Amino acid sequence: MSATRIVITGMGAVTGFGFEWQTLWEKMLGAEHCVRLWQPDGVEDGTFPVRYAAAVDMSLLPEALQDHPAWTFALEKRSRFGWVAATQAVNDSGLAPEQLRDAAVLCASGAPQHMLADMLLTQAPDGRAPGWQHLMPRAGEVNADGSLRQGNDRLARVIADGLGCEGPVINISSACAGASQAIGNAFQMIRRGEVSVAIAGGADSVLNLDTMAALYLLGAASSEQRWGVDLCRPFDRDRSGLIAGEGGGFVVLESLEHALARGATPYAEVLGFGSSLDAYKVTAPQPEGRGAALAMQAALDDAGLRAQQIDLINAHGTSTPLNDVAETLAIKSVFAEHKHYRSLAVSANKSQFGHLIAAAGAPECMVTALACLNDLVTPTVNLHELDEQCDLDYCAGQAVSRRVDFALSNSFGFGGLNTSLALGKYREHTQ
Amino acid sequence: MTGATVRIAIAGSGCVLPSGWGVQRFWSAASEARSGIAVLQSKVFHSERVAAFGHVSDEDHQTSRQDVAQNLQRYCPPAVIWGVSAVRQALAEAGLEPGNDSLRYGLYCCQGGYTHPSLAAYGELLHECRDESGADMRRLAQRVLQERALDPFLVLKSLSNGLLGIVSLALKLECECNAYMQGVAGNLAALREACAALQSGRVDAAIVVGAGSELDPLALAALAEAGVISTNGSQTLRAFDRQGTGGIAGEGAAALILRRVDDLPDGPQTCLSALFAHPRLGSLNLPDKQVDLLVSSASGDPQKDADLARTLARAGAAHITSSVPVTGILSGAPSLVDLILARNALLAQRVPPIIGLQQPVDPHLPFVLGEGRDAVLRDCLIINRDDNGFSACYQLDYQSTD
Repeated sequence: MSATRIVITGMGAVTGFGFEWQTLWEKMLGAEHCVRLWQPDGVEDGTFPVRYAAAVDMSLLPEALQDHPAWTFALEKRSRFGWVAATQAVNDSGLAPEQLRDAAVLCASGAPQHMLADMLLTQAPDGRAPGWQHLMPRAGEVNADGSLRQGNDRLARVIADGLGCEGPVINISSACAGASQAIGNAFQMIRRGEVSVAIAGGADSVLNLDTMAALYLLGAASSEQRWGVDLCRPFDRDRSGLIAGEGGGFVVLESLEHALARGATPYAEVLGFGSSLDAYKVTAPQPEGRGAALAMQAALDDAGLRAQQIDLINAHGTSTPLNDVAETLAIKSVFAEHKHYRSLAVSANKSQFGHLIAAAGAPECMVTALACLNDLVTPTVNLHELDEQCDLDYCAGQAVSRRVDFALSNSFGFGGLNTSLALGKYREHTQ
Repeated sequence: MTGATVRIAIAGSGCVLPSGWGVQRFWSAASEARSGIAVLQSKVFHSERVAAFGHVSDEDHQTSRQDVAQNLQRYCPPAVIWGVSAVRQALAEAGLEPGNDSLRYGLYCCQGGYTHPSLAAYGELLHECRDESGADMRRLAQRVLQERALDPFLVLKSLSNGLLGIVSLALKLECECNAYMQGVAGNLAALREACAALQSGRVDAAIVVGAGSELDPLALAALAEAGVISTNGSQTLRAFDRQGTGGIAGEGAAALILRRVDDLPDGPQTCLSALFAHPRLGSLNLPDKQVDLLVSSASGDPQKDADLARTLARAGAAHITSSVPVTGILSGAPSLVDLILARNALLAQRVPPIIGLQQPVDPHLPFVLGEGRDAVLRDCLIINRDDNGFSACYQLDYQSTD
């Protein structure tokens, strides 16, 4: 453990619930979710098997944000969400522009999302076979705000340029664990003394035909119809796959010294970060949750915490048959001593705002921080019949008021990558 | 790393580059002034304006495939396969066998950019599902879903952390990890995290690997639009030359194994002693003392290289060279390749030349022209500048047994 303490002083989230973290928190405590009917553009006849998602509802955009340059810049949709979320996090922190000059920006954004109009440019005008050669002469027609025109670090650079940050600009690429890794790396950089302030998080949207079709064909996305909008049900016997969301989330991390010097009030303290690899399969978790357990244990070790001190696990909880059992087994193995897992609150945020893929870890980290701040745990909604292999306290149905001194926030990704962040209630003095 | 007292050494290296498979081929090409840049060849597109590229040869690709199990190859774009091969080379040189030794490993990856492998398949589908008013999306969706015309693994191949996942699977690594995507900045972040993990004692051996390819018409078009590569049909990349005609992209992978010096047996070591970075080249911190060798990236654009040369002058190096004319401009492993070049120069006490350099942008700087030369080299500075302006500086020190 290091003497340098790191705290969260700003948060910004764009999700299906809206464009502010306050709305997200309020709706989550009210046991709401934002999963709605969804169909890919051009396939509005109900034939596409994936029918539900937690899309960002632009009608909820508050007036104060309508002039944000993200909506007019040449950016992919996910990057617009990310830039708005990052701006909000900075505003929320109260940092002045001159205090951001040396800040680091760490950003996770998922795989590029192709625009149909761009792909149609591969078609030959005379009916010949399609191919790249037809696109090259028409390169000028490629959409400026489509993935083909966007560098992979576009969002990170836009945030840094837009906020005047001249510190390290780092683009993270860790699939569904991306935002968690961004926050973890930012935490490590501040702890090492490389920077005093970091803006970390991610943005993503997979709500398009090709990516959702791929997730469906891989067996990851749910096509279940019988539960209607209530089909995202982590740890439930009848869970059937992930429900995609979209959006962005960023937090402002600061050294406690820096935060206190400018009079900021921390939401929570980041205490540790752990990562691991399953080395099992590209598209499936290790069945016993070995990799997930290694990441959680690494986060505990990094934070200098004992397993018995943890009150809450913000679970990855994807609502997929494989993940939820593996994660449960992982939690039971890490918290086996004195069966501490029986005392844990486990909450799955994806049941409320879907799976934000590369961005998922950011709003989930925020919700964990707010749980520490308020001693309130958001519920796992739509959980009615526990899977027989999922036998923990998942806070089903409604928010729980309970003491949360320390918590872990888990994020796992395709490719077998696992991360876990350790957070704690902010106290003026460490115990 | 500033202020850190635990010394970090490069214990092994590996690469698959336009110069060939393996570090020895790369070092030979650099020493003998043989460029790996050739006429641009692609099965899916043709360009007259972008005429040259640093290709990894088919033969070297096939050699690399031997390092990746058949069942994993379906997830792998070529660069990921090269990355796995580079890691295996580096581990072999370092004498390490993950799973068969008791070391704690860390894996830190950097991919050059997103791949778009699904576009070609998608283009064919769109062609078949087109009607008079454009694409029939319903028909397209049916084709995709019912006939599995869109291979989901094509999407997985474009996963930005594919390199991390496949290396971990190939080597059965369950260790601490990080994945980045951003050229020089990504390389720097991966190296920084690897060094920090070693210095903190969390890991005993850090695998740092980068891989990427820009052999994609849209990636090349974007690089051309950004002024990174030449569009005048040029076949050579003339670094730091007044007659330079612009950059040429390349592809490949490189890997390093980092260890704590104190954990290594006695013998000559090349130690990574400093890392610096800044979004602006002019503000990049450089060590106070002069160095014997400077390895620098270059753009091939005379004006940009002259700007870069002003920063190089601050380093006061005895010799300046560059790997860019050997490989082309790399997206996935630019700094790792330069570290490999610097390490070999320090071990061989020999400076490779800048291929093709005839009229330096600054005649007062000690650019190495013509042939390589023997020299006493105790330390080396590596200065890298990305096409997005991000700059990094690394220092490598040679510690002999004397």
